[in-house]
Parts: sequence; structure tokens; C-alpha cells
Amino acid sequence: MERVSPIAPATGGRRQRPGRLKDTQTAILLVLPAAALLLAIIVYPLLNSMLIGFLDKSLIYGGGAFVGFKNLEAVLNNEFIPVLGNTLVFAIGATLLPFFIGFGAALILNGPIPARGFLRGAFLLPWLVPSVIASFLWLWIFNANYGVLNGFLRSLGVLSQNNSWLSSGGSAMLAVLIAKTWQTFPWIAVMLLAGLQTIPADQMESAAIDGANRWNRFTHVTLPHLRNVIGIVLLLSLIWNFQHFETIYVMTQGGPAKATTTFSVAVYQTAFQAFDLGKAGALGILWMLLLSIVVIVYLRFGMRGEEDFA
Amino acid sequence: MKTASGPWMATRASERALGRIGLYAALALAMFFAFFPIYWMLVTSLRPNAEVFAFPPTLLPQTLTLEHYANFIKNPQLLVYLGNSVLVATTTALGSLIISVYAAYSFSKFRYTGRRALMFLVLSAQMFPQALLLISLYLMFSELKMLDTYAVLVLSFTTFTLPLCIWMLKGYFDHIPTDLIEAAKIDGAGQMQIIHRILVPIVRPALVATGIFAFMRGWNDFIYALTLVGKSKQTLPPGLVLTYIGEFQSQWADMMAASLLVSLPLVIAFILFQRQIVSGLTAGAVKG
Repeated sequence: MERVSPIAPATGGRRQRPGRLKDTQTAILLVLPAAALLLAIIVYPLLNSMLIGFLDKSLIYGGGAFVGFKNLEAVLNNEFIPVLGNTLVFAIGATLLPFFIGFGAALILNGPIPARGFLRGAFLLPWLVPSVIASFLWLWIFNANYGVLNGFLRSLGVLSQNNSWLSSGGSAMLAVLIAKTWQTFPWIAVMLLAGLQTIPADQMESAAIDGANRWNRFTHVTLPHLRNVIGIVLLLSLIWNFQHFETIYVMTQGGPAKATTTFSVAVYQTAFQAFDLGKAGALGILWMLLLSIVVIVYLRFGMRGEEDFA
Repeated sequence: MKTASGPWMATRASERALGRIGLYAALALAMFFAFFPIYWMLVTSLRPNAEVFAFPPTLLPQTLTLEHYANFIKNPQLLVYLGNSVLVATTTALGSLIISVYAAYSFSKFRYTGRRALMFLVLSAQMFPQALLLISLYLMFSELKMLDTYAVLVLSFTTFTLPLCIWMLKGYFDHIPTDLIEAAKIDGAGQMQIIHRILVPIVRPALVATGIFAFMRGWNDFIYALTLVGKSKQTLPPGLVLTYIGEFQSQWADMMAASLLVSLPLVIAFILFQRQIVSGLTAGAVKG
């Protein structure tokens, strides 16, 4: 596998100076189709969805009277806190679990192991599996009656009878987190592995000669070198997990007893199963507010050194 | 002072041996976590139902059968989902690529007012929650009488493929020397000629990688195809959920066979374009 720098696409060569083409009219014509589409199918709908949070609007009966903060108030007094709690547990869990496992995998795949090139590719397999399919697979593994996990634990004597993992809140959340971890840790491993490969070998060697043991080399050479990649990986994971939908919806539909209902599931169910668009919009407003905090941190962080945003 | 071949060397050697053992143990553990579920998907899809519903399950299949794959092929509704997935994911990827080439070129090689604001929008567009966007997309397409059409699927998928394609292609265009374009201009080439005759051929591998990422995102979409269209236009992910979580609940082996079939195109694409996919991934623009 070729060496790739963690941030820039690996087309090789140095980054060019900002273009000197000044033909503004052409430039705007070129970007126009994309800009028009983005405005029509992202910017307008997103603003509109949040506006709906101030309306009394139903998916079936229509309506649309302005009700001010009524929806926000109702949401804040009811589902907001539990939904926020579930979202935080999921987002943080689905960021940290894959991070540690992915980091471990990256260190292993960077080490002297047999069939290294092949394994580096093969470890991406779980990432290639679509989210819905990963959810199916783990539903089957966690299945109460015939699942292989219960089979394992029973034959090891850990369990005396089958456990139905998805019927209690805590273990359902854990099951969803494990499924999501399995699917995303390869992405983190690849990102960190690319970073590890850019550490100059002589830095490691001179640290070893200076008597630094494995752990010291890790904390004093590896970690500082990976600081940027780690930051990007953690922030991006957090942003995506904050709005992840498929794994939870397919595995638990937000249950049992709403124990895995995150913002994405709550907004979807309020809008398309309870048909209350106003309340869904209100939840969306709160969701966007919280999400934008992480997004702003990311944009600040990720764009540091990007000349285009300087 | 001790000599270099004293106890110090012995510690280093034993440390290294210990490290090697630890490394292999960790590798075995990681491989088990990564690959056992895939093995289990494969084994389940290949054994008869009598074995699937035996408890505790045996790790090795006792008899092999292809009946669950046959069940997929014999189910006309599943084939409809498959056809829809191929059609919509391909159309979305190609359409997004075409529009993105011009936008990415504009962002990469020109400087004008509003450029930064637009680029900021492209980058943050990938971070807006789909479930929230969906509410208004649904209302908008309902008003336009476009619900339950292929067009609505392509347009809704474009909400995530277009920013992805623009951002990735811009990254590749940034590495093309502006001098090359200036030279072509001096030779009398128009902007369209520059794009089609010079840029596109140069970035062809990047176009392939970007197209594959866009295809994958479309192939994997669940929430839009679940909501904006009905059974006849639905793609595989929502189609399979409606089939195996609803209609044919607990047909685990059929479900695993279908799961493998749905994942296969992505695995094949990966094997063919591993280098491009990995470098695209590490460019940081792609959803993990």
C-alpha cells in the first residue's frame, strides 16, 4: 500500500499555489449548477425544517399556523432530556469504542506481521458492509433464541440460560454500539495507519537509542505526530454519530421503551410515524444547535492550515 | 559500566520476543472481531434451516446448501429492489460527478467573491442531519407531485453525493499546476476544452475513486429510499428491512444470503480499486 498523507489526497506532488485565473464570469457559470442544486435540496429544506418547528403542522392534516415556542416548550418538557442522553451515550460510545479498537488495529497493522499488505486491505471488509446489512448481521448474532453469542456464552458456562440482549435498555444500547463499532473501526484504523506511516523511522530509532521504552516512544513520538489525524477522526466520528440513524433504527427502532431513541430516530418517528411535523421540527432545531457546536469546532480545527479558508 | 553485550542486550531480546507474542495475540483478537461476523454471515447463508435453528449452533456447517441464494433470485420483489439500487446509485454517482467536475474546477482554480462561502457550504453540507432534511424534502417533493419517482431518489441522494464529489475532486484539482491551464489558454483553448481535453484525462483515476464513493453512499442509503418512495421504487436497504424485519421475520439464513449479495458489489469494487479507495478515504472527505 502506498504511503498517503492523512489530510491531502495522495495524488502526489506539491500543492499548487492558489490559481491565478481571474475569469470570474466563467468561474461562476461553472459553479452555478452545483450551487443552485445545493441551495434547492439542502439549504432551503434545512431552514424550512427548522421553521416548521414554530408551526402547528401535521403530515396528514396539513395546517401550518404559527405557534411560536409552543413546540419547543413541549419538546423541552418531555422527550428532550432522555433523547439527548441517549444521543450522547451513542455518539460518544460509537466514537470512543471504534477509536480505541481502530487505533489498536492500526498499530498492529503497522507492526511486523505476516501478510501485512493483504491484512491491511482485508481489515476494511466490515467498513464495506452497508450499515443496514451490518445491523442485520448483529441482530442475528445477538438473537435471543438461536444467536451465536448466546451459544458461545452458554457453552462457556457464562450464561445458564439465553439472554435476550435487545429487550433490556442497557444491553440494547451496547448491542447497537458494538454493531456500529464493528462497522467503523476499520475507517479509523486506515486513517491512523496512514498517519503512522508518515512517522520518520529515524525519530523512532533515536528515541529507542536514547533508552525510551515502547510506552515512552508511543507517548512521546507516536501520539504527538498523530495529533492532527486523531483530532479529525474523533471530531468527524462525533459529528456523524450524533446523527446516525440506520443501525439504531434497524436493530431496535429506538426501543426497548425508547432506551435507544436518539435525535435522528426521534425526529424520524415524530415526523413520519406520529405525523407531528411541528414537534419534529422543534426537536430538529435543538439537534442542529448542539450539532453545530461540534461542526464549528471541526471546521476551525480541520481548516487550520487550509490556505483557502485562511 | 556494563558492556553492551551484558544484561542490557538480554532484556532487549526478551522484550522483543515478548512484544512479538503480544503483537500476534492482539492480531488474533482483532482478526476475530473483524472477521468472525463475516464468517458467520457466510456460514449461516450456506446451511439448511434445520441447522440455522439448532441451538447451540455448530461453528462448522454440517451440510451446505444454496437454497437461500435461490430464494433471493426467485423472489421477484427483491429483484425489483436490486434493479432500483443499481439504477439509482449509478445515476446519482454519474450525475454528481458531472456537475462536480465543473464546480470543483471553479473552486480550485479561480478566485471570486462568494467562493469561500460556497465552499464552506459544501463542506458543512455533509454534516447536516438527514432525518431533519427529510421532513422538508418530503413536503417539497410532495408539493411537486414527485414522491414515488426515481427522480426523487436521485435528487435526495444528491444531497450527500454532490458535496462529497465536489470536495474530493477539488482536492485532486489542487494538485494540477495552474501553469498547465495557462499554457493551454495561450494555445487558444477555451475553458470547456481545458476541462474536457486536459483536466478530465489527468484526473481520471480520481474520478473513478470519487465515483465509487458516490456509488457506495447511494447504494447504502436507507432513510430517503425508505420514506420518499413506495415498494416499486425502493432500493435494497429499505427493501430488505421491509422484507426481513417485517414480512419474512426470522428467515435468518435468507437474510444473510441477501446481505452477502448486497455487500458483494462493494467488495468487488474495493478489490479492483483498493489503492484509489484507500487514498480517497484518508483524504478525510469520506464518511467512515
